[in-house]
Amino acid sequence: MDLLNGFVALANFVLIPAIAYGSQLALGALGVTLIYGILRFSNFAHGDTMAVGTMFAVLTTWGLQAMGVGLGPFPTALLAIPFGILGATGIVLLTDRYVYRFYRAQKAKPVILVIVSMGVMFIYNGFTRIIIGPDDQRFADGERFVISARDFKEMTGLAEGLSLRTSQVITVITAIVVVAILFWFLNKTRTGKSMRAFSDNEDLALLSGINPERVVLVTWLIVASLATVAGVLYGLDKSFKPFTYFQLLLPIFAAAIVGGMGNPLGAIAGGFVIAFSEVGITYAWKKVLGYLMPPALQPDGLMQMLSTEYKFAISFVILVIVLLFRPTGLFRGKSL
Amino acid sequence: MRTFLLFALVACLILGTGVLQSWNSALLILNMGLVSAVMALGVNLQWGLAGLFNVGVMGFVALGGLAVVLVSMPPVGAAWQAGGGGILLGLTLGAASIVAAVLVWSRTSGTLRGWATAAVLLVGLVIYRMVLDPAVEAVESIDSASTGYLGGLGLPVLLAWPVGGVLAAGAAWVIGKTALGLRSDYLAIATLGIAEIVIAILKNEDWMARGVKNVIGLPRPVPNEVDLQNDPAFVERAADFGIDPTTASTLYVKLEYGLLFAAVLVILLVLSQLALNSPWGRMMRAIRDNETAARAMGKNVTARHLQVFVLGSAICGIAGAMMTTLDGQLTPGSYQPLRYTFLIWVMVIVGGSGNNLGAVLGGFLIWFLWVQVEPMGQLVMSGITSGLSDGSWLKGHLLDSVQHMRLLTMGVILLLVLRLNPRGLLPER
Amino acid sequence: MSGNPYQDDRGNTDASVTNPHGQGRLTPAGTQPNPMPGKQGPFLVGENMTGGYGKTGPDILHDCTIEVERGEIAVIVGPNGAGKSTAMKAVFGMLDLRQGRVLLDGQDITQLTPQARVRHGMGFVPQTSNIFTSMTVEENLEMGAFIREDDFRSSMEQVYELFPILREKRNQAAGELSGGQRQQVAVGRALMTQPKLLMLDEPTAGVSPIVMDELFDRIIEVARTGISILMVEQNARQALEIADKGYVLVQGANGYSGTGKELLADPDVRRSFLGG
Repeated sequence: MDLLNGFVALANFVLIPAIAYGSQLALGALGVTLIYGILRFSNFAHGDTMAVGTMFAVLTTWGLQAMGVGLGPFPTALLAIPFGILGATGIVLLTDRYVYRFYRAQKAKPVILVIVSMGVMFIYNGFTRIIIGPDDQRFADGERFVISARDFKEMTGLAEGLSLRTSQVITVITAIVVVAILFWFLNKTRTGKSMRAFSDNEDLALLSGINPERVVLVTWLIVASLATVAGVLYGLDKSFKPFTYFQLLLPIFAAAIVGGMGNPLGAIAGGFVIAFSEVGITYAWKKVLGYLMPPALQPDGLMQMLSTEYKFAISFVILVIVLLFRPTGLFRGKSL
Repeated sequence: MRTFLLFALVACLILGTGVLQSWNSALLILNMGLVSAVMALGVNLQWGLAGLFNVGVMGFVALGGLAVVLVSMPPVGAAWQAGGGGILLGLTLGAASIVAAVLVWSRTSGTLRGWATAAVLLVGLVIYRMVLDPAVEAVESIDSASTGYLGGLGLPVLLAWPVGGVLAAGAAWVIGKTALGLRSDYLAIATLGIAEIVIAILKNEDWMARGVKNVIGLPRPVPNEVDLQNDPAFVERAADFGIDPTTASTLYVKLEYGLLFAAVLVILLVLSQLALNSPWGRMMRAIRDNETAARAMGKNVTARHLQVFVLGSAICGIAGAMMTTLDGQLTPGSYQPLRYTFLIWVMVIVGGSGNNLGAVLGGFLIWFLWVQVEPMGQLVMSGITSGLSDGSWLKGHLLDSVQHMRLLTMGVILLLVLRLNPRGLLPER
Repeated sequence: MSGNPYQDDRGNTDASVTNPHGQGRLTPAGTQPNPMPGKQGPFLVGENMTGGYGKTGPDILHDCTIEVERGEIAVIVGPNGAGKSTAMKAVFGMLDLRQGRVLLDGQDITQLTPQARVRHGMGFVPQTSNIFTSMTVEENLEMGAFIREDDFRSSMEQVYELFPILREKRNQAAGELSGGQRQQVAVGRALMTQPKLLMLDEPTAGVSPIVMDELFDRIIEVARTGISILMVEQNARQALEIADKGYVLVQGANGYSGTGKELLADPDVRRSFLGG
């Protein structure tokens, strides 16, 4: 019984939140890794692209709510995701047309594009704040819980409760669906394969008649969609605040690099590695250990290795450790 | 000539602020412009001279700020008695366990290696927390409303500036040693991470610098306004100039800060210029322009990169200390990457990467715009919204959004310069 | 440094922000998608080609002429730095021609982009990075057929018949294959466009003598199907043995030319380039 209670506590406080957060990071890291693989630079504006997409989704959600349209137990925001994607795609394509394309034509070095993306980051940042403001916005509605802690206790008679929030379930399901579609696209379709070919060897892709501008266009479409989905899921799970999204840049970059930059599989693995370390190291293990350890050995302290404010530090430390032992990331830096 | 004209333009902008708005705000812009110029100088050393991509400027600036607290605040005797020894012991133990782990790793081999190292680290962490935690608690409980930290060394505040540089240099050395030593270089993400860590530590380790409770009332290298107002000689002199003593005292204090900062900037600028044109600078540029050839000639590229990274970060640290001294308080909550990392990058790129004078110019110009875009935007926005009825939702929203115009403007400026004049206002050569 | 400021990366090689892998280096010279009318003659003519890299680079080719008939194997040989590969790049449109023109099947293609040349029946196998290493053999062949709208399975079947080992390894990543097998993938990829002219830049560089012989056999087989072949080779003697026509380039200009056998018999050519 103690064992079961311990496991439930572990699932409730560590496993479930980490899986949800890991899915969000993985979706974010996928976007970064796609840009890195195909446009060959790290996009500093990615966190803000997520914010832009989410902002459009939030505005649409409010609109739908005002019109009385809803999804019953599910958050209305799910309906708004396509509109968010549309908005993000529009903004991103405009940026590509008027900013990035020029540098491609110049055959600019990737590091110049990194600096350019800093400028784009400033602009998106200002844009989001001007439209929706810098404050926290809540837009989740519908049923809050699939299983609440109290129901769980009544159902099972265990001392520990397990709460499963709707947003967490939706996050995981959506992430699985999105990732499956993405991998199918990259590995099975002609366009997807041409993207991988372009990432592998730009010159040879050119000689095979692959149109670079088309590859780039499709890449931005996918990246904007991934960013919006990741952003909306994160916002449903926590809340939407432009600055938080900007700050997600570090864990997202860390996830992409830990997995092996340019490798989608790696981005997903990296997302979960970072999420589990963050949640695991900042969790106070006292409760779980209390169930699992014999009474004599039970710890006095909270058994929390680091306070939650250090979560960004953890992504970084994990990153350094992985790079020290595997300089190309978990999945050898294979392109796409 | 171009250099002279552009600097004259910036001077006119600042003087214009003095005439049109107030001399107080002009001096404020000038002082922070000086600090920004120093920061830009540091980043320019790294990016311009060596092509190193440092996106953790904020961390080094914050370390400089920490130095001011550690050096200049009076020590809190009760806190030292309560837990000073414990904290020192704890930190020593923490460092020792890391050293031990590294030793275990390098002395053993086989499958045991990883587990042994992890075990040493875990045991080290437990002991470290066991020693540190009670000490920290003891320190933080001492009069937590006003102190609750160990305090500083009570030394003159000017001493904190070089110490800030040293602190930042130390952090840069650790980070550079790790990130540049990897098979391929991962400096950018490493600096991005270290900056977040520094801020996290500043915010959470209350025993060190009171965390988000802020340290206020830092000692100043210049006289207090109130003391000046009470000084009959000063009041008399102010009357001679025809200004009232209150205004005169604030202006006088700011001017004195400005002179101090200008002295630092000039010294650093001269040193940077000398370095740039020395054999060392030539070697750095040779490495930058053709790393393979430089390696083939037997240059230790990684060591040189580490050197220049440490130097540049030290300059950022000095600037950070200067800024905290000017503010008179350390507020960890106010450090944001957009303002302290990416804005400095805008300064360097706009000014002209690789050109020290360009970086200084960029520092002044971009800081001026950063401050002045808001009032300008206010003006424009109230023009635009004048047609809307008062109290309408849109008008309120548009007027509110003016404060975010500066981010947008900085982005547009950076993109325009990168597009039209990628070498910056003052190109390298 | 002094060139394009957008291409100045200040020596930065930061792997966490930039990805050097697979970056494009090609600088296509032509800009037009459609050829101009030319004159009838041999299948491929590179006529009096003079030019160098970039708009301002020094001339590397001097009045160089190369002709290939239908179904013929033509080989360019010559000492290092003679401009062999450059001549081939000029034919393929990756070099600014200051004089001369390129004709394919009676059409003037001098102003065409490399991609357009592919569409008009040229297949090109670069010397290095000529396969997609992270993709499977079959995907490499598919990418070769990217411009084709019709069913390309029969072409793939032909490639597999020509190189049976590729059929065996078709689901393996091309980067995991041996040097000789990689070259087969590279040639196979170029054949997927159903070219009328196949250009090979040192196909045997870095492979063992046995593999080299086999590759040459396959190239002869390809030529028998009616595809013209233009090839640059370091191994001059073996290449000239299978060549219908040979060009010896000397400092970017035509030195000697003739049938393979003639060149092999020519005492001057033997003394200067074939080691006696």
